[in-house]
Amino acid sequence: MSMDACNVQERPARRMGWTSRLAGATLALAATTVWSGVPSALAGNLTIWHNYGTEVNATALGNVVAAFEKGHPDIKVDLVSQPADNYFALLTAAAISHKAPDIAVMWTGLFALKYAHLMADLKQMLPASELGEMKGVNWASQDFDPSKALYVLPLEDQFYIGFYNKALLKKAGLDGPPRDWAELMAACTKLKAAGIVPMLYGSDSQALSSEFYPFYDLSYLMTIFTVDQWSGLADGKIPWTSPQIAEQLQKWADIHGKGCTNPDVLTATDILTKFNNGAAAMIVDGNWNLQQLYDKLGPDLGVFPLPFTDKPISGIVQMPGDGLSVLKSSKNKEDAVAFLTFLMSGDGQKILSQSGLIPARKGYAATNPLYAGLLALDGHGFTKYPMLDNVVQGSVVDTGSSVLPAAFAGQMSVADALKKMQATWDNLPSDQKQ
Amino acid sequence: MAGGGADARLRPAVPARSRTFQRHRLTAAWALTLPLLLLWGLFLVLPIVEAGYYSLTHWDGMEASWAGLGNYERLFGSSDFAQVLLNNFSLLLSVPLAVAIPFGIALVIAMEPPGWRWARALIFLPATLSWVVSGMAWLRIFAGDGILNSVLRAVGLGALQLDLLGSMRTALLPIALAFIWSQVGPNTLILVIGLGNIEPNVIEAAMIDGAGIGTTVRQIILPLMSRVLVFVAIITLISAFTALFSLIFVMSGGGPGFATTTMEFYIYRLAFSQGDFGMGAAVGMVLLAAIAAISLPLVLLYRRPGAT
Repeated sequence: MSMDACNVQERPARRMGWTSRLAGATLALAATTVWSGVPSALAGNLTIWHNYGTEVNATALGNVVAAFEKGHPDIKVDLVSQPADNYFALLTAAAISHKAPDIAVMWTGLFALKYAHLMADLKQMLPASELGEMKGVNWASQDFDPSKALYVLPLEDQFYIGFYNKALLKKAGLDGPPRDWAELMAACTKLKAAGIVPMLYGSDSQALSSEFYPFYDLSYLMTIFTVDQWSGLADGKIPWTSPQIAEQLQKWADIHGKGCTNPDVLTATDILTKFNNGAAAMIVDGNWNLQQLYDKLGPDLGVFPLPFTDKPISGIVQMPGDGLSVLKSSKNKEDAVAFLTFLMSGDGQKILSQSGLIPARKGYAATNPLYAGLLALDGHGFTKYPMLDNVVQGSVVDTGSSVLPAAFAGQMSVADALKKMQATWDNLPSDQKQ
Repeated sequence: MAGGGADARLRPAVPARSRTFQRHRLTAAWALTLPLLLLWGLFLVLPIVEAGYYSLTHWDGMEASWAGLGNYERLFGSSDFAQVLLNNFSLLLSVPLAVAIPFGIALVIAMEPPGWRWARALIFLPATLSWVVSGMAWLRIFAGDGILNSVLRAVGLGALQLDLLGSMRTALLPIALAFIWSQVGPNTLILVIGLGNIEPNVIEAAMIDGAGIGTTVRQIILPLMSRVLVFVAIITLISAFTALFSLIFVMSGGGPGFATTTMEFYIYRLAFSQGDFGMGAAVGMVLLAAIAAISLPLVLLYRRPGAT
């Protein structure tokens, strides 16, 4: 065989080796990609996601985690703060890509049902005797029926509520916060005359984007219906375009239209800091920011149910609106159960209370004095309403979150905004129109 | 066959070693291209095909059921989507500015005035910022109590104060301005590189012949830069369709109403906020078709024979 012939024989063999190496490298790259898709949680490690930002809930959950790790040195908890603005989008994406945490903060009501396919049934995992002590279990159960599957362990009792600055109200000659539409408009006139912005709207410190969240207000606006009637908002018996709702929303939009708010309601940011600094007499928010406001304003801070009714308001929006879920995909369910069991225990509930929350377990009170007045409303003829965004369809809430601020700011008519919400409801699959 | 035989006779004889070399070269070409084709198929073609399939289903992200063209019927029957499309096409109006302004800057830099190196670095600097940071900065400028209105008040022009982002009629304008600003850095850089490839003696010859700056730009530079300009226009156009999510998320949240919701933002809202991934996929397919349709003339322009 000539030398050339040898080379001809040899070259393909060498090239095959080079090609194989290339293919091997590609496979290795693919394997690395696949490996990175493996759930990050390891045995003995728990990953918990929350969307609390810097709210008091974040501190409370952090305190519970610290105490749990102390009592369970073999379990390491990775507490991950996710952005509040798109928390549920991230959670969904993580579940789809098999990177979901073991435990995630979840809202109760229809939110829990919307994501039920991702969550484990806690009734199969936690002792029934302990669960029986928790408030709001119905809002976290399949079909809101506590005898069925439980998807969320309620963490705390929450309020959508108005906050007012007592000193500013006094300066305008007002003895207390308004209780109905007429008093609100009268208060507005007096406050404006005293050079005070009556109500401040905008996003709070947790939000990246600037628009305010309208469902705090809408929950009170819908107290023109009874709690039982609210199911009609979800199943279509009460259309969003009904004259009663339109009338309520028009009165609400008039708050801005008549100059009772800051002019830039759609673009104002960080309203909590501004309120703390005396920029306005009243704001609308949730009790999870109470401690932050109380730390700054102290006894000048007051809380009040939003006066969005013709008669003095007699409804209060209060429910265990959030809690913790165990993801079905969790590889550490035993550790997750240990954590939730600790959370439900007396020690866990005391930590929540001392951190500034109203624990969801019966018999455990909040420590902040302002809560006493709020909780007392329940016994003074006030009707407890759930949070509206927890009990109407998420798609309708999403559309409402876009169009209601625009209607409030006078950028869109109330009728058009409600038509869009109704159109969203109309487009829901039939199994969601319940 | 006769014809084949005739061809074979006409074809010059190719030595056996050369044929082997050609065959091996072909094998090597495939071996080198195959990984890229695999990656391209895996990460580009397959997702598009998948999205196309899911756009025909009711899909909650986990389970899908066949919906046929139902998602598309809903989409094109929706007044919200009409607004979304209008927003997208309105933002396209910013593309010529996002190309023309960097072109002007690139021309000035190419003339190498004093400090041009610093200017080049400074102009590119904003491109290193994340869209979220840029969005936050622009929000602080255009918010009702933002820097713009503070400046107007400070100079006694308080009556001219505007809440641009708070009005459905004007909310898209700050987004477009922020977008144009974000494109200045990268587009200027590409255009400066393009200008650097023009032979200086061509420009000098034009100048010696008495051509002014305007004539030189119009008659010499623009024709020589046509492919670079078309390329910049294509990538800017694609960015206008697909890169504005973070800006919109931070600056306006897609509102007021749907006034600043674009197709990519609408996909996010439908899929992740509402859990309707099927509809999200349908909008994705419409977005793909829109980009393809609008880019096609530019791509043809880019590839036309004789383009420089």
